[in-house]
Amino acid sequence: MPPIRSARNRKPPPEGFDDIEDTLLEFANKMKDAENATHEGKKRYETVWPIFQITHQRSRYIYDLYYEKEAISRQLYDWLLKNGYGDANLIAKWKKQGYEKLCCLRCIQTKETNFNSTCICRVPKDTMKEQHTIECVSCGCRGCSSSD
Amino acid sequence: MATPLAPGWTEHKAPTGHSYFYNNETKKSTYTRPIAQAQAQAPPPAQFIPSYGSGQLAGGFQANQFQQNQYSGPQYQGNQFPAQFPGQPPGPQAYNNGGRGGRGGFRGGRGDSRGGHANHDRRRQEPEDKPKHRYKLPGCDPWVLVKTKLGRRFVHNTDTKESFWKFPEDVMVAVIEYDRREREKKERRERGEPSDVEDEVAVMAEEPTAVAEVEPGRAAIVPVQNNEAAEDSSEYEEIEVTDDEEEAENGEGPSKRQRTDEPDDQPVDFDEDDIAYQLQAMGEDYGLDPGEYGIDEDGTWEEGAEGLPLTEEDSKALFYDLLNDFMINPYTPWEKVVEDGYIIDDDRYLALPNMKARKDCYDEWSREKIQELRERREKEAKKDPKIPYFKLLEEYASVKLYWPEFKRKYRKEGAMRDTKVPDKEKEKLYREHVKRLQLPQNTLKSDLSTMLKAQPLSQLNRSTPIEAIPSAILTDLRYISLPPKIRDPLLEAFISTLPPPPTDGVSAEDQEAEAAKRRERRRREDALAEREARVQNDKRKQQKDLAYGRGKLREEEMELQRAMNVGKDGLRGQLMEQLGEKDERSLVID
Repeated sequence: MPPIRSARNRKPPPEGFDDIEDTLLEFANKMKDAENATHEGKKRYETVWPIFQITHQRSRYIYDLYYEKEAISRQLYDWLLKNGYGDANLIAKWKKQGYEKLCCLRCIQTKETNFNSTCICRVPKDTMKEQHTIECVSCGCRGCSSSD
Repeated sequence: MATPLAPGWTEHKAPTGHSYFYNNETKKSTYTRPIAQAQAQAPPPAQFIPSYGSGQLAGGFQANQFQQNQYSGPQYQGNQFPAQFPGQPPGPQAYNNGGRGGRGGFRGGRGDSRGGHANHDRRRQEPEDKPKHRYKLPGCDPWVLVKTKLGRRFVHNTDTKESFWKFPEDVMVAVIEYDRREREKKERRERGEPSDVEDEVAVMAEEPTAVAEVEPGRAAIVPVQNNEAAEDSSEYEEIEVTDDEEEAENGEGPSKRQRTDEPDDQPVDFDEDDIAYQLQAMGEDYGLDPGEYGIDEDGTWEEGAEGLPLTEEDSKALFYDLLNDFMINPYTPWEKVVEDGYIIDDDRYLALPNMKARKDCYDEWSREKIQELRERREKEAKKDPKIPYFKLLEEYASVKLYWPEFKRKYRKEGAMRDTKVPDKEKEKLYREHVKRLQLPQNTLKSDLSTMLKAQPLSQLNRSTPIEAIPSAILTDLRYISLPPKIRDPLLEAFISTLPPPPTDGVSAEDQEAEAAKRRERRRREDALAEREARVQNDKRKQQKDLAYGRGKLREEEMELQRAMNVGKDGLRGQLMEQLGEKDERSLVID
């Protein structure tokens, strides 16, 4: 039987974790709230929107700290991704041109859509026909294409 | 008309409703009606020939643009124009903006000159003019009468795309006819048949009054030359356009004139631009900065609009100060900072024009701040993570508790939760400590003193305060195994016996370096000694081998010698022996 790793006997997180611990804790609390929020009066797909949103925010936070502000070390960054604080796949997409603001991975997944196309939120604002606001089904994004 | 006017005089209506009289030649205006005297002067039809107003508007678009550039460029570039004429009436620029060229030209002019409050003044003085209404002229088909925002009128031929300030003869007739109809319509309206338009007219009528009031510097009498049109054909000649600066200086601002005339003729549109303009004018009269009253047209003020000039760096620095003052944690995301909203109430929050600029500024600030924090932390001595755990041990460890019990009992303590000291290490320390607690006190005391003596003088000396004992001592079991009541006096006594700190002026770091050097040197020496010992060993071994070999050689040599040492006697003796044996044998036989 493998040893049970609790918070007590795990290896300490890398240097610099103390600085961002509070913010991450806040995100965790928000996530818990979102998970426990009531689904009444919401559409079925709407219930997961806040989850996606918080995941996006938290990943963005880590991404910004490492790539934009260079505030955390490589070890800490890797550790955070390994421990599920950020979505590595999403961050990988953000590094690509045209995907700098991508909201979630499901929105660029063409496989499971009716017309084998990406989500409506990937359409640039200026090429949208009608000017009314949209909210995509998968994560509630209102448009994340980088061209606008 | 009660009495005929003296020649040269024309009657006009002031925005307040008074009628006054203006002499075009003497350039005088008066409220008292000048009665015809023996002046043999013909009423001048039109003195002011519009310099370029009679050009083709639509067709002359390019030319207009060009002229504007000329005006706005060199003349307004420096600050000198508004400085010379404070409260200066509009320059010619406002009048360039006939027809469609107006808007673009106006913007262009603003872009050209960026000097101080010149911008601001100009905006006030030269509201942009643009076509506002378009009326079909009855019985004059391709021609339309266009009324600009400032109330000026010109005719436009929709077929040939020509525009004229000065009405051509055939069009003039139609315009007069049109005017007559308009007047009739108005009269009918005034007689009865109240309509919703009327209210609007009333409101509009008030507007110029307000303007006139808030600008007392202006001439109270505002001459309007082209207003009461029916008997005065000069209107149809369109006198208004002028370049004359002197006249402008006299306060007979044509723009003023145009803005305020015919408020009751047709419903003048009173749109947002006008409101903004008025507010601005009022604000200026009260001596306010544009920042203090709330019109914001482009989102930002031009430079120098707000009292002292505030450069981009200044506003950035202000924002930095704000962030510093509120002790914002640089690791928090920007959204959180805004959500908390502490900084929003501060004035400095508005130093930057929009949210994007603020976010950029925040990112920059947090980046710098984090860098700074990191550098400071690197400089700071690293605190041993074990120290809190040792404090905990000293306080709670007892012989009565086994490690699992102790662990469970104090699991909520910060030192126990700390993951920097691994669990195994904690357990080991606890067990050792408990074992030491059972030792007799004398042993513990002697252990403590040996430990203290082992400390280098730079770390522990007479001037070391009892609160700042080096961490090497604090993280030693021998230090905590004695209860503080006994230990502290001992420690103090020991410290008082120590010599003062080494005063060669070397800092702790240097000493550290020196110690490292010393260690290195000792290591080298040790290595050397070891090597020597090994060499000695080897040598001894070699010598032993040598000695052994020599001994062996000698032995062999001796043997050889012995072998070589065959003398005559030896042979003889042998023979003798043999002979003797024979003899014996023979004797026995015999």
